[in-house]
Amino acid sequence: MNVTVCMKRNVVSVREKTTIREATSIFVKKHIGLLPVVDDDDKPVGVIGMRDMLTLELPDFVTFLADVDFVHDFGAVEDIHPSAKTLNKTVKSLMKPAITVKEDCGLLRAYSLLVQHNQHDMPVVSKEGKLVGITSRVDIGAAILSTWLKADK
Amino acid sequence: MTIIPAVISTVIFFGSLILIFSEKIHRTITAIAGAALMVVLGQILGFYSEEAALKAIDFNTLGLLLGMMILVAMLEPTGFFQYLAVLAARSSKGNPKRLFLLLGIITTILSMFLDNVTTVVLIAPVTILICEIVGISVLPFLVSEALLSNTGGVATLIGDPPNVLIGSAAGLSFNDFLIYSMPIVLVSWAGALFLLQYLFKKELSKKPRSIKAIMRLNPAETLNEPLIAHRILIVLGGAILFFFFHNALHVSPSLVALGAAAIALVWVQPDLQEVLKHIEWGVLIFFGALFVMVGGLEHAGVMESIVGLLKRASDVPPVLFGVGLIWVVAVLSAVVDNVPITIALIPVIKGLGESGMDIAPLWWALAFGAGFGGSGTMIGSTANIIVTTLSEKTRTPITAKLWNKRGLPVMLVTCAIASILYAVVFRWM
Repeated sequence: MNVTVCMKRNVVSVREKTTIREATSIFVKKHIGLLPVVDDDDKPVGVIGMRDMLTLELPDFVTFLADVDFVHDFGAVEDIHPSAKTLNKTVKSLMKPAITVKEDCGLLRAYSLLVQHNQHDMPVVSKEGKLVGITSRVDIGAAILSTWLKADK
Repeated sequence: MTIIPAVISTVIFFGSLILIFSEKIHRTITAIAGAALMVVLGQILGFYSEEAALKAIDFNTLGLLLGMMILVAMLEPTGFFQYLAVLAARSSKGNPKRLFLLLGIITTILSMFLDNVTTVVLIAPVTILICEIVGISVLPFLVSEALLSNTGGVATLIGDPPNVLIGSAAGLSFNDFLIYSMPIVLVSWAGALFLLQYLFKKELSKKPRSIKAIMRLNPAETLNEPLIAHRILIVLGGAILFFFFHNALHVSPSLVALGAAAIALVWVQPDLQEVLKHIEWGVLIFFGALFVMVGGLEHAGVMESIVGLLKRASDVPPVLFGVGLIWVVAVLSAVVDNVPITIALIPVIKGLGESGMDIAPLWWALAFGAGFGGSGTMIGSTANIIVTTLSEKTRTPITAKLWNKRGLPVMLVTCAIASILYAVVFRWM
């Protein structure tokens, strides 16, 4: 079995010049975890994850302290949101290199790549490198687990 | 002095200093390369040898630094430094001026007994936390912590690497520093603190947005391992007590520090790999390599000729000579790391002593200049570099422009105060 059995074909993607503000509203409306960034040929040039978006909100101290368990009240940082200037930047400033797989990639390989790169979602591309779908740990995991049930019969 | 060895060793040393200043290559790599080159060329030309290079290394300094690093590496993961900062935050009740004062005092006291770099590395992250949840700018705090630790560290034998070097070379005891250095440093420090409060007046009078959040920080929760913290603090306290008497007991400071480290290791039995990972080997190697390089300069006769040149200036009144030394060393330390400057000047001062000059006051001039000079520029001391690098990962980075407006005045004021007091007490030094 390859990733096509468990990927979503209806993928939302953006271009490099899309602003972070526009990306924000896509994340909210579509309730997604990963937004592929594609070029004019629909080939992925990068991705923005929910995690990358949220780093804009994360207080600085979280990066520096080994443990924040003792901080019960985040106080003044609770109501600080990214400035208009930040939201006007393009997604290019925030995106990460895309970890993609081809359509014929096996389930276990796809899952291993997600684990190794510490990702939750992954774009799937055609032989020509065009974006054709997106798959996630849950999608791949469920597909793998379903093979257990078949083998158990 | 033969001319070729002198020129070659001078070129190697100053070439290394320039590379260290440019920060193109890591300073430790530069120092190792320079030291190796010095020994190899010294062997070929016959002015330096491996044995002489080994003898040039001051193992007393390295031992003291290593011992203190081991103790700090064990204390760090216990959360003790967060504990202190959180206590300060709570007792400030969110008042920025009081918080500024309390964190400043804690940083200074820590920097008197620990390396400045360690102090800043440990106190800066929790400072960022406190300022963020209270809703005030962290810049005044970070800049001041670096500047106050630069200043406070000069007070004791173990507070600052140049002091360790000077103490070891001149045979000055822990108590000598308490008697001759600490009073002058305390006055200079107070000057620095007032100046910083004035320079950051605007930022510090902003109203904090959330005081409630810091009152909900529980200091006890910040201690990950109270028992271990307890034990290491007992050992550290014992070591400091021993430092007071090391001279009377005829024990070197490095033995006190390494002995304390050994006791702590046996008592706590930590994961040794973890402890070793936190030791700053780069710093120790940097020191060792610099000793070897400066040893080469000495053997090539360069130091002798510098001493000869300085002797010609000996009709200058000794007080002026000392004050001049403070400022020359301070300016040099502001642009280059103060450790190579100190290591290079030690043999010069010793040479002046051998030629009959009273050098006891000059050691203190060297300590003040090297310690206070580092405040002048963003790259003047490792503590400055650390807060700057840290702030670059936050939303409010420290800029060179800001440093010129805040750090440079602190350097000028502390050097000026130290110069005046130095001149006043000169004849008792």
